[in-house]
Amino acid sequence: MSWRPGFNSGLKALSLGLWGVVLVQSGASGRLDLLLRAVFHPLVWISGGLLLALAVLELVSGQEAPLPRRQRLGFLAGCLAALAVLLLPPVPSFADLAANRSQDFQPGPGLNFVVPPGQRSLTEWVRLLRSEPDPKLHQGDPVKISGFVLPVPGDRPQLARLLVRCCLVDAVPVGLPVLWPADQPTPEADLWLAIEGVMENETVAGQNRSVVRVRQVRPIPRPQRPLEP
Amino acid sequence: MGLQRLATTWALFQALLVEAMPFLLIGVAIATLARWLSPGGRWVRKLPSQPLLGPLSGAALGFALPACECGNVPVARRLLASGAPLGAALGFLFAAPVLNPIVLASTWAAFPDKPWLLLARPLGAVVVAVALATLLGQRSEALLLTPELLEERRLSQPLSQVSLLDRRSGLIGSQPPTPLPADVPVRRQPLAEVLGHGSSEFLGLALLLVFGCLIAALVQTVLPRSWLLAVGGAPTLSILSLMLLSLVVSVCSSVDAFLALGFAAQVTPGALLAFLLLGPVIDLKLIGLFGVLLRPRAILLTAAGAGLVVLLIGQWANLILL
Repeated sequence: MSWRPGFNSGLKALSLGLWGVVLVQSGASGRLDLLLRAVFHPLVWISGGLLLALAVLELVSGQEAPLPRRQRLGFLAGCLAALAVLLLPPVPSFADLAANRSQDFQPGPGLNFVVPPGQRSLTEWVRLLRSEPDPKLHQGDPVKISGFVLPVPGDRPQLARLLVRCCLVDAVPVGLPVLWPADQPTPEADLWLAIEGVMENETVAGQNRSVVRVRQVRPIPRPQRPLEP
Repeated sequence: MGLQRLATTWALFQALLVEAMPFLLIGVAIATLARWLSPGGRWVRKLPSQPLLGPLSGAALGFALPACECGNVPVARRLLASGAPLGAALGFLFAAPVLNPIVLASTWAAFPDKPWLLLARPLGAVVVAVALATLLGQRSEALLLTPELLEERRLSQPLSQVSLLDRRSGLIGSQPPTPLPADVPVRRQPLAEVLGHGSSEFLGLALLLVFGCLIAALVQTVLPRSWLLAVGGAPTLSILSLMLLSLVVSVCSSVDAFLALGFAAQVTPGALLAFLLLGPVIDLKLIGLFGVLLRPRAILLTAAGAGLVVLLIGQWANLILL
């Protein structure tokens, strides 16, 4: 058994190790919270650990086998790709992503809303308004929610969240119309805000809808787990 | 494309990659384990080679070797390299991403109120797999499989099974060569050697996955999803648009039912079924991975054939359920 791997073996170990580091580092740095639903996180951690173990095994076994040039270039390209993923963290614009998706979220059957109005999250409010859309039912209810600012063409910006079933790729935006304070500038897209207010009615294009009248608004950092199930 | 959109594309790429890589590793692990436990792969050569039984037996393997479509590619490659009948290996490749316990359970969890879907999805997957295996089976293996895979496959096949035009050795006109004796013991490779081969295979596939994820992320950012869902009520257009969506979104078959749940109420039943059938067979993310199995023309043939069969199944579903 040799501890001095040759070039081919070392390159392969490096490639395996880098992919392992990509997965483990994604979990450790909180990147996964931005990319994947929590239920898949253990799978990523285990895979990262396995790849690191394989890299160590490759180094320890030190079996130097001749590699075709194409495969060697493939390993090298894999190293570069893994390095790029490692060094360039994901910084998605939620507003940009949401603008490309329709807000056609359908509440699942049998949802039960027993949470008092002041404790409902933005997503819970949207679910409730989809299943009980009559604005009169919610008029005057206190609202305390957080989310990112989502510009809406032809309307005021909404406060929104992204729902995911699996990963960022299938994210669906859900948003609430907001009556922003008249004495403050309209908030910028992607800004994360916590707002307190009250649910009111307004008529837009001849239709009544619920809208949050803001009483207090403050910017907040993006939550550690910004995606909601 | 602005910087902001580029950053979003990069994030989508990472999400796709990080989600798919563990499944790819699972697939390579299954293929590596099979290689170690059954070095000669003799049992896979005993799978039926009849036009119908072959793909059906391959599809049934999905229950025993559960992996989504990314993980299926290395397993199907191992089957082909070990000399499995072409129909059986293709049946596994195309049907197993749906016909496995994880995917069926997730479909049931997402659509407990649509019992027809629980029957139609696996049945449809079998129909698609049989049709594609029959279609691709019309071409010779030399035109279908990549040269590297073909070379490896030939080592596991008796010469008598290889057509004269595909042979690179042997004497034309001589006595037909005797098949490989069934009782020749095949040496089990050392575990370290098998692991080394598996890890090389993973690295090769991971690079192809990177390309597939990049393409899928780019197309998703450029193409507004609302366009694809805008024709939800029109029977044929809704099927076509959802087929296009399944190609673009490229999520794993183990979770695609939950994604479909989000728009199930807006589209026709046939379109919903088409989305759940086409994605596991082919999508943008898979195109690179398929490159280790099939030649480019065979990939195009697969995409066209799968599209046509899924469209017909979707139309049939709309005819019955609308």
